[in-house]
Amino acid sequence: MNQQSAISNQQSIGSILGDHRLDADRGSWDQRLREVTSRDVEAALASRPGSYNQEKLLALISPAAEGYLEQMARISRSLTVQRFGRAMRLYAPVYLSSYCVNRCQYCGFNHDNEFARARLSVQEAVAEAEILAAEGYRDILLVSSEDRAFITVAYLTELARRLRDKFSFISIEIFQLSQAEYGQLANAGIQGCTLYQETYDRTVYARYHLGGPKADYDRRLRAFDDMGRAGMRELGLGVLLGLADWRVETLALAEHASYLMRRYWQSRVSFSFPRLRPACGVPSTEFPHLLSDRNLVQMMLALRLCFADAGIVLSTREPAWLRDHLIELAVTRISAGSRTSPGGYTDPNAHTGQFDVNDSRSPSEVVAAIKSKGFDPVWKDWDGALW
Amino acid sequence: MKSLKVNGVERRFDPDEMPGTLSALLDALGVGANAVVAEVDGRIVRRDEFHRTELQDGQQIELIKLMGGG
Amino acid sequence: MGKLTIAGRTFDSRLLVGTGKFSSPQVMAKALAASGAEIVTVALRRVDIDNPADDTLREIDQDRFLLLPNTSGARTAEEAIRLARLARAATGIEWLKLEVTPDPYYLLPCPVETLKAAEILVKEGFVVLPYINADPILAKRLQDVGTATVMPLGSPIGSNQGLKTRASLEIIIEQSTVPVVVDAGLGLPSHVAEAMEIGADAVLVNTAIATAGDPVEMAVAFKLAVEAGRKACVAGPRAPQRTAEASSPLTGFLRE
Repeated sequence: MNQQSAISNQQSIGSILGDHRLDADRGSWDQRLREVTSRDVEAALASRPGSYNQEKLLALISPAAEGYLEQMARISRSLTVQRFGRAMRLYAPVYLSSYCVNRCQYCGFNHDNEFARARLSVQEAVAEAEILAAEGYRDILLVSSEDRAFITVAYLTELARRLRDKFSFISIEIFQLSQAEYGQLANAGIQGCTLYQETYDRTVYARYHLGGPKADYDRRLRAFDDMGRAGMRELGLGVLLGLADWRVETLALAEHASYLMRRYWQSRVSFSFPRLRPACGVPSTEFPHLLSDRNLVQMMLALRLCFADAGIVLSTREPAWLRDHLIELAVTRISAGSRTSPGGYTDPNAHTGQFDVNDSRSPSEVVAAIKSKGFDPVWKDWDGALW
Repeated sequence: MKSLKVNGVERRFDPDEMPGTLSALLDALGVGANAVVAEVDGRIVRRDEFHRTELQDGQQIELIKLMGGG
Repeated sequence: MGKLTIAGRTFDSRLLVGTGKFSSPQVMAKALAASGAEIVTVALRRVDIDNPADDTLREIDQDRFLLLPNTSGARTAEEAIRLARLARAATGIEWLKLEVTPDPYYLLPCPVETLKAAEILVKEGFVVLPYINADPILAKRLQDVGTATVMPLGSPIGSNQGLKTRASLEIIIEQSTVPVVVDAGLGLPSHVAEAMEIGADAVLVNTAIATAGDPVEMAVAFKLAVEAGRKACVAGPRAPQRTAEASSPLTGFLRE
């Protein structure tokens, strides 16, 4: 029996995080991380690759493990290739709306920010998607801020219906829905859902989420249970790296992933790594937990070494040179040529984007980079035409 | 003649010799009641009910016990 | 090392022993005692009217051992359910090893009938321990319906071939949210040590002990092997290392 199953099968994720002090009172973790020795790291590296237990992950994300990145990278690459082959899935996002009722302090689309908002009709969204389809994409991510009035379940199901014969994989990264709504979307052919907890630290969460439905931490935390019960095939987890200590966030993320893998065994979990980049003019002292490239790599490798079958997703937030190196370490799915404003493929300058794209290479350039690393860019993962 | 099918085998009795209860049947067959459970026409009868279970002509009786097994 | 917990009951021993195939009830009793087992399986059979005195059960001290009736002989869910209810009526025990084996050659369990029976028996209040082939998806389905464990086979009953299903067992062990008891085909103490090393919660052995030259000594050997394997698992064994491919550094791009 999986060691993690020592805990009650009925325990909620909120309760699990509370028991481990991963959502509050995190102070004791600092000392535990400092106390990890080289020997602990070596023991973690010697254990069966791809299996999770908290002690192992603690060792791999500790400061003591920083000297072992090369070894971690080798194991990670070997494990990723073994489980996923040399295929690298390519996807692109389509932003549907920048209207938002939430007041998340780190986000360009924060309700309180003043700029010209935009939203796409279903027809306009289809036009965006068709541009991507013409580029070769078969895997599309529909993104939206909390614009519930316009981006309704009916809108999304209609959009999914119209995209079904062009795309073999349609997933969403939008505001939280109910279990019933997720079920409707799953039936309409939306197979995956990405939703970031942003931070698992309750105090930090409250600090950055000042208003709107997203301000409710527990409600946010429950979302994946609703998705799992509704039959969503792929569950995309992540935290906004830089809001809180990345090491403890990784521990929380892993507990959440492990919980979901046990409860909703028919769904696949993946990790994304959105890294906070303060806007121009904002002093870095505002954000004491920013990650270095080294930290980001360590986090990715540590998670891969604990979750052999989890997807690891990389977006265009990261610069080209870093992405090229990360491709061969652990990544399984990568975006390219992304536009983060609604209608951005039709007219890149028409509207404001959510974040700055740091890898602005075209899809064909990214494809060339993937191939140069010995990987096979895959546009279409599997044929969804059967549903 | 009356008969009972016991463990798949038909057994005949003179009308006044047929065991009237399950307990009596076990005694007649020399079967100890330890860890035995019975089915009478498909209905499960527990050991403590054997003495109260009356038998009728033509019933199918299974006598089952726990034995060694893997 | 931790105790084994099944359906809320805890046990010190992770070796379950079957009571069939012994040369005599007396030898069986001695072997059970030597094995340290706390759970022993028993079967249901028709009373042998011509030889009614055979009483294996008398030799099993029910204060010491938890009897685990099995439904061996059942070929369908219906037969298994009937046997389950008979077993409960005979003993008052609600624990059950669910075995549905329509194939008389290898006695391999039928996944469809097993799942069907498990769902019904769990609803009737039985503590169900289902015997299955090492099928990870079936194991998940059984957990979903509420079985107390899963019992995947190592190799066919009585074949003594050990962990032919090792790769699948590892997946079941990794994914399982209930205890995994490896059952069937465990012919040597080294087999059970291996099962415990890869993380099984317990093992069930019958043929290898009952048919050994000296069943009592063999029972002791199995007891020690289970303990050794469990200790090794908890101690954190090193995974076999593969030679690394010679290549340029993967993380050289990170500046110090």
